[in-house]
Amino acid sequence: MTEENNLSEAQSLALITQMINKAKCDYEETGFGAILWGSLVAFCSLITFGNFYWKITAFYYIWFLTLFALIPQIIISVRSAKRKKYKTYGDEAMAAIWISFGVALFLVSVYSSKFELPNAALFMIMYGIPTFATGYINHFKPMIIGGIVFWLFAVICFYVSFPYIMLYTAAAAIIAWFVPGLILRKRYKKAMQRNV
Amino acid sequence: MFKDLDPILHSQLRLAVMSLLISVKQAEFIFIKEKTNSTAGNLSVQVQKLKEAGYIDVIKEFKDNYPNTTCKITKYGIKAFEEYVKALQQYLDIKK
Repeated sequence: MTEENNLSEAQSLALITQMINKAKCDYEETGFGAILWGSLVAFCSLITFGNFYWKITAFYYIWFLTLFALIPQIIISVRSAKRKKYKTYGDEAMAAIWISFGVALFLVSVYSSKFELPNAALFMIMYGIPTFATGYINHFKPMIIGGIVFWLFAVICFYVSFPYIMLYTAAAAIIAWFVPGLILRKRYKKAMQRNV
Repeated sequence: MFKDLDPILHSQLRLAVMSLLISVKQAEFIFIKEKTNSTAGNLSVQVQKLKEAGYIDVIKEFKDNYPNTTCKITKYGIKAFEEYVKALQQYLDIKK
């Protein structure tokens, strides 16, 4: 591209549109986080469900796996931020949403365990917030649907008792995170092939 | 009454740079170079002109021990860009 001043008005407008689209198409989400958390929450929920019958002591602590999963998540997020050559206003909004979700989720976990409150439906209501917001900001329908699924399943769970509530949590995690994650992964691989 | 098109923006490369920066919060020099298919020398000159006009901020820092230049559109730049697009639309409307 050179510095020329003989652009027509229509060419200028076309150039503006073209450059805005180029910025939009540059970055593809890898889907790593959604696959990791979708599979992990589903796995922990199913183990919790099974352990209602198995009564294996070690499995009572299965949800601690989510703390270990934070390590690869943080590493990948930092790497991804470093690799990215630009930052959008949407990126900042997403970071704010997921950080505040993480803090709120931690506080709710502590609160519900301190007062021994049933928390599965509460967690699903919370999971729905960043999921829906992420889908909404990025115009990514599978996650918008995912957020709504979390909230619908949370309402169902008002009337379902433990351990069956865990089956709904597992199903919601698969629908809202794991499946959208796979879709994102597929898109990402396609984008990588295009750039080779 | 038609407004004159802003001469700073009415140039292919400078307009491309501003269009990229309007859609992101900030972008590295290398990203702008890739997207505009320009040479580093030419892009540097045009970025400098945009900076002198107050349309963008240029931040020079180190990233992984290498110098890294990041460009960011200013509020004044956003206003100028919006006025430029408005003026373009006026021209195009009258031609219809």
